[in-house]
Amino acid sequence: MLILGIESATSQVGVAVGGHEGVLASAHSARDRRHAENLTPQIRFVCEQARVELSEIGCVAVDIGPGLFTGLRVGIASAMAVAHGLGVPMIGVSSLDLGAFAVEHSRRLIVPCYDARRGEVFAAQYRSVPGGVQRVSDPTVATPDELAAELMAMSEDILMVGDGSERYRDVFGTISHIEFAGTSLQYPSARSLVELSHPKALREEFVAPNEIVPMYLRLPDAEINWKTRASA
Amino acid sequence: MTKRELILGIETSCDETAAAVVANGHDVLSNVVSSQIDIHARYGGVVPEVASRAHVEMMTPVIAQAMVEAGVDKDDIDAIACTVGPGLIGSLLIGVSSAKALSLVWDKPFVAVNHLEAHLYSSFLEEPDLELPVVVLLVSGGHTMLILMEGHGQYRLLGQTLDDAAGEAYDKVARYLGLGYPGGPIIDKMAMDGDPHAITFPRAMVKDGYDFSFSGLKTSVVNYVRKNPDVADVDVAASFQEAVVDVLLTKARRAVKEFGATGLCLAGGVAANSSLRERTLDLAIEDGINGFVPSRSMCTDNAAMIAAAGWWRYHSDGPASLDHGADSSLRFPSYA
Ligand SMILES: [Zn+2]
Repeated sequence: MLILGIESATSQVGVAVGGHEGVLASAHSARDRRHAENLTPQIRFVCEQARVELSEIGCVAVDIGPGLFTGLRVGIASAMAVAHGLGVPMIGVSSLDLGAFAVEHSRRLIVPCYDARRGEVFAAQYRSVPGGVQRVSDPTVATPDELAAELMAMSEDILMVGDGSERYRDVFGTISHIEFAGTSLQYPSARSLVELSHPKALREEFVAPNEIVPMYLRLPDAEINWKTRASA
Repeated sequence: MTKRELILGIETSCDETAAAVVANGHDVLSNVVSSQIDIHARYGGVVPEVASRAHVEMMTPVIAQAMVEAGVDKDDIDAIACTVGPGLIGSLLIGVSSAKALSLVWDKPFVAVNHLEAHLYSSFLEEPDLELPVVVLLVSGGHTMLILMEGHGQYRLLGQTLDDAAGEAYDKVARYLGLGYPGGPIIDKMAMDGDPHAITFPRAMVKDGYDFSFSGLKTSVVNYVRKNPDVADVDVAASFQEAVVDVLLTKARRAVKEFGATGLCLAGGVAANSSLRERTLDLAIEDGINGFVPSRSMCTDNAAMIAAAGWWRYHSDGPASLDHGADSSLRFPSYA
């Protein structure tokens, strides 16, 4: 089955297409956060490069976040429309899963960490298991200092991946048992998305387009204020 | 008979997720609007982040419903038209992304539509043979514009608000009086039980030019209520509304005369206001011009008007590129 992967949770926007032969074509761009402008042409380009007709796509995989809200939604809305338009099911994958998957063979505790802006990061903990990675903590949004304190208290070696760990290297870099995957893996990729979704597609772990739920991890400010006022 | 061309229209510029199928720019086959008013009411106004989240949830089901209600499938659609601005950027992007993605997978032309221009086309949905030139009074929560429409795509912006939009003034006055949100329908309803001549609020700039100003009116309502705490809310509502409608229609009427227009059209959310509608029809009879007041559901944001404007734009400009983005401050396409 051919999978179209759409990923736009960070400063990067990417599309890949592939299946049991692996990834057939992919494109990623990260300049000026032109997610909405770039995404549809990227889908067309990637399918042309892979010599895949859109009608051959059997499922649409999408990064559901956490990530930067506006860009993230461009990817999710586009992916839902493609799936709906083609009448195919979807697979939703977290950006944190994609980050961990990119370093799946590490024997360290894997901590994907993406820049959430406003002085915060999105993060979760993963372990390498046969055939992939397994999440061992809930995805959270936290300040780099809060996350650093949590990681500092852990006795095992840690591998951090993602633009959040790069941006706050001055905070995490002081902890001796942390290593960094580096800038080449700082964004979740559409390639990883297609690779990670393939076994899920074989197991038919599908959802309908209207069942995709974005993982925001943060309430809108207005809702936070309203709840505070309501409980006061 | 010429071929029937079907446009799928998509609109997400503010807090309505909407999709519609319209034939030949005026024949509405379906018009689905999912309103978020209830979601935003507790915040006293539209919250952009909340709106964007709701659009993502509703967009695909709303499109699906518009297709089903129209009894068409993708092969029947000739083009997909979508609002690209102005509006809330996070909201616009949901519609634009969905429309472009559908346009790619269904292999249909994508048509970029200006939301303000689309409001003008709400009149053509019910009156396809509307005789031009007409003066259009476009009044909504975000805009107050007086436009001379000389032909399709040919507009002259005669004037607009220098501060608050008319709908904004309604919301602010309603909030001050503690009446709730949205202010327009609430004040409209209360005004029916009040005396519009109880209080004489100022009619700002009523004599000069075609521009509007509503922030002074809002201030004088606040001051009046502060000085006269026992005044009946219904009288304040009726007198405030009377002042707004007076200014809007005095200028619109003058524009019709000056430019020799055949009629006056209302457009935009505030055009759902009962007093504005009644008085527009009255003055049309008095002045011997055509008064056109679209049905309420066509005045507020909807996708049928996007499909209608999209049909004209498609024929005049052709399709837009798939790397088109959204522009939150897109300007009205006026040549003057
Ligand atoms: Zn509008």
